Amino acid sequence: MKTKYLVHGAVIAAVYTALTLLLMPLSYGVMQIRVSEALTVLPALSPAAIPGLFIGCFVANMLGPNGMIDIILGSSATLLAALASYKLRNRPLLVPLPPVLANGLIIGPMLYYVYAVPVPLWACILWVALGEAIACYGIGLPLLRYMSKRKSIFR
Amino acid sequence: MIRDITLGQYYPGDSKIHGLDPRTKIICTFAYIISLFLVRDFLGFAITVAFLSYTIFLSKVPLKFIFKGLKPIFFIIIFTFTVNMFMTKGETLVEIWFLTITKEGLYNAFFMGLRLILLIIGSSLLTLTTKPINLTDGIERLLSPFRKIGVPAHELAMMMTIALRFIPTLLEETDKIMKAQMARGADFETGNLLRRAKSLIPLLVPLFISAFRIAQDLAMAMEARCYRGGDHRTRMNAMRFHWRDALASFAMIGFIAIILLQAYVF
Repeated sequence: MKTKYLVHGAVIAAVYTALTLLLMPLSYGVMQIRVSEALTVLPALSPAAIPGLFIGCFVANMLGPNGMIDIILGSSATLLAALASYKLRNRPLLVPLPPVLANGLIIGPMLYYVYAVPVPLWACILWVALGEAIACYGIGLPLLRYMSKRKSIFR
Repeated sequence: MIRDITLGQYYPGDSKIHGLDPRTKIICTFAYIISLFLVRDFLGFAITVAFLSYTIFLSKVPLKFIFKGLKPIFFIIIFTFTVNMFMTKGETLVEIWFLTITKEGLYNAFFMGLRLILLIIGSSLLTLTTKPINLTDGIERLLSPFRKIGVPAHELAMMMTIALRFIPTLLEETDKIMKAQMARGADFETGNLLRRAKSLIPLLVPLFISAFRIAQDLAMAMEARCYRGGDHRTRMNAMRFHWRDALASFAMIGFIAIILLQAYVF
């Protein structure tokens, strides 16, 4: 049972990283639309996705070019969001909301303070949240709908 | 398309930096990043550049690879630089039509730009000289004291190791599914952003199903070999601190001491 949880988490992490790497230039940087963030709806289907997404984001950022701060803050944002999405699992329309908020509020200020992107703070936050919303609501929500029909694979 | 992807940035080698314990490298990188935010003027950066250059020299990683890490953030650097230069108020140096370059702006632009470049180069040196698998091991060992407060260090590291192992497999799988869907008329390349994003769903669903099939097999194989978590597990390559790790740590402490003295005492 425990082994299965571990392996499911690992596979979700691998899918996240593979998608991030595949859509490389779009996945990193300030104006990012990270398609793999659509997977943040998965905690609604399987709790193994919580550590899975955290590790996925960690590894993706580790292999990516943005350095240590992005690795730590990016994956913590994803972890917080995954926990919140898991709590909201009975309200499908709200499931993609936590990653939008968490990334906006953590990555936005990170870009502003650490990478010194010289646009106002609110613009950084809004910009990140917008990219995230496209991934989470545009792809994540339909993905959640389709995957709900195939829940058996998560067992 | 998929052949082009190199996993991570690791540059194989057997330099003194490659040979350091991953734990030493992770902690030193942390310390280096913190030190960058302690620097208050260009003299501090000059010391940092000297220290970093010597480390790069020791690592024997060609400069080409070091600077390749900067490519993805090139636009941020240029953007940061330009906006800082023109938007900072202060003593006017040059005035061209509506654009004014101030003394403070020029200073800010160089200061922020340099810090960003040093940040990226310094932290990519860690991934350039450490294999992802060793990095994972190092993280597991560094996190293990936190097991007492409930951080599942071994489980997280195991997930990371398995994930690293399956990334190439899944990349290949994605490629296969993409071609299969294209043969059935799927279109991944036209339309606006939202439409293109939506076109990825017929890719994601089969990808998941295939990934979970792999997971099923792997879980069974692990259980058949009596895998039962981190306790009492032994390693083929145990990590050990060597004298060179002590040396590297001392060098790092010395560097931070110099930065602190330069910025806050003199």
